[in-house]
Amino acid sequence: MTVLLDPTSERSPTIRPRLPRPESLDGLAIGILDIAKSRGDVFLHRLGERLSDRGIAVKHYAKPTNTRVAPLPLRQQIAAEVNLVIEGLSD
Amino acid sequence: MADFEARGIPTVGVATTEFIEGAAAQAKSLGIDPALVFIPHPVQDRTDDELKKLADDHFEQILAMLVKGG
Amino acid sequence: MTDQLPQDGLVAVVKRDCPTCVLAAPVLGDLARDAGLTVYTQDDPTFPETVHGRVDDTALNISHRLKVEVVPTLIRFAAGREVERTYGWDRSEWQRLTGVEGLGRDLPEARPGCGAKNVEPGVIERLKVRFNETGLRSRRIEIGEDEDEQEAMYARGWSDGLPLVPPTEERVLSMLDGTARDPQEVLGLVPPVLAAATVEKIAVNAVMAGCKPEYLPVVLAAVEAVLDESFAMHGVLATTMFVGPVIVVNGPVRRRIGMNAKGNALGQGNRANAAIGRALQLVIRNVGEGRPQEVDRATLGNPGKLTYCFAEDEEGSSWEPLSVERGLKPGQSAVTVFAGFGLQGVVDQKSRDPESLSRSFAESLKAIHNVKSAPSCDALLVVCPEHHRTFRNAGWSKARLLEELYRLCEIPGDELIAGAKGIAEGGPPSLAGKIVNKFRPGGLMIVRAGGDAGMFSGIIGGWSAGGPRGSLPVTKEVKP
Repeated sequence: MTVLLDPTSERSPTIRPRLPRPESLDGLAIGILDIAKSRGDVFLHRLGERLSDRGIAVKHYAKPTNTRVAPLPLRQQIAAEVNLVIEGLSD
Repeated sequence: MADFEARGIPTVGVATTEFIEGAAAQAKSLGIDPALVFIPHPVQDRTDDELKKLADDHFEQILAMLVKGG
Repeated sequence: MTDQLPQDGLVAVVKRDCPTCVLAAPVLGDLARDAGLTVYTQDDPTFPETVHGRVDDTALNISHRLKVEVVPTLIRFAAGREVERTYGWDRSEWQRLTGVEGLGRDLPEARPGCGAKNVEPGVIERLKVRFNETGLRSRRIEIGEDEDEQEAMYARGWSDGLPLVPPTEERVLSMLDGTARDPQEVLGLVPPVLAAATVEKIAVNAVMAGCKPEYLPVVLAAVEAVLDESFAMHGVLATTMFVGPVIVVNGPVRRRIGMNAKGNALGQGNRANAAIGRALQLVIRNVGEGRPQEVDRATLGNPGKLTYCFAEDEEGSSWEPLSVERGLKPGQSAVTVFAGFGLQGVVDQKSRDPESLSRSFAESLKAIHNVKSAPSCDALLVVCPEHHRTFRNAGWSKARLLEELYRLCEIPGDELIAGAKGIAEGGPPSLAGKIVNKFRPGGLMIVRAGGDAGMFSGIIGGWSAGGPRGSLPVTKEVKP
């Protein structure tokens, strides 16, 4: 572990804040990323159905293997195609 | 997850309760505050119907993490 | 035992890598045997062989607590407090302090000691961090083992786009050694958030920029200068125009820290030039929260907003340095900050007299921002040595050149009216029949810089609102 001194005015917390969320999901596309752990696909698929029932655009993606991070081309593709992501299931 | 947020894509992660401590440790070491929803462990031995029900039960909670004020 | 100092008794701190300690080893052995001396060794726990109960202080904790600076150091304690100490080998001193006669009969009377390990550069900082004596107040940020330091700093938004030197406590302590000023001294409030620029915060950013500690006083002077009200830093930052602070350094500090005033002075390759300018920009970014596409609204900006700092070529110049022209004493180290951008080159390889060369300069100066705009911004003319030679040979002082340039920058108002020359940009019809100068009085500054070969000078354009309504150049002394 490295300790660094903060070069900023320290007005913000040390933890990087989450991105601001949109006011509503209208007109937005949600990407569902299956990180390839057991049985996650059924769970995530059901989420996708519920979203579609609500009229929200959904795209499904899957990591090729759960042991490594999602490959860069996949991450770039997701970031280009959707506005929000649900990622799961970690255990 | 941190990668998507870094690319401007708000993200919520879904994990089982087994992962609560691991998630906290990872978040601390990376200096991030990820949006996470936890579902009861275990998952591997559940039937399709049980998994669908878990998805239904947590659907609103997951969506809330993706909108303002959620 | 290792962490306990005697309540009453004698203590010595030594190291093998010190000829005086080696010389005094027999005396240490005698005192250990006969007078209860405890010996702490800084480098090699097998030294001195003459002392059987010697204590390993390779961690330097005891040395640090005792504030040892020279080895050997000999200390007498009484009732838990230090009574007196001596260092180096000196028979009469050692005998007096220990109360033991006849020490080191075979040794010379005295021999100076050596520098102690615990005060070597780098070591003292580590010890201060270990003992939490740094006095540093900045928030500590822990970077986890999973995280790459560079990515962590990028992710936190600290970078200007290029990699940073991680600002560890040791590095910041070393940096603060470059100044005599108090780390908590506040130099001013940095816009736009008006956060306090302490010497410490500036040091943290100076580390990240790649500065050496000896550059810090120049960085501090530059920060002081841009925070001077008349520089109007908020406006300079927030403008849609091109400018950023340009730093010109004068005086002895230039050579002391190895700045470049010669070949490629406005380009890359010199650590001091590059790091000092960068440190200032990082302070604006990190302490002030001035960032592009946020409060910084620059449409294009300019490459100088990464770093723009150079030294004036004073040696052999017939012109007084910029700082002297602006009121400081000759020989005083100083910085001048100017809200400027880019470099408009002036190529003149044929002019043999000052009049012709002045016209070359003036025609280029009149094109800054737009040929139709006057009065326009301030400007900094950087005259290369070969061009300066033309003026020197003709006996033209800087004042003489400025006078000539102002005269040549008078423009008939008719040429400036909107629509004239088929250009919609321009001024009102009331300019007809008038004469307008491209520059406000005092809006033109001149420095000499550059390599000795090449007839290529340069113009650093300014900010449209230059002058009392906008940004004025500011000169500040470099204080140690």
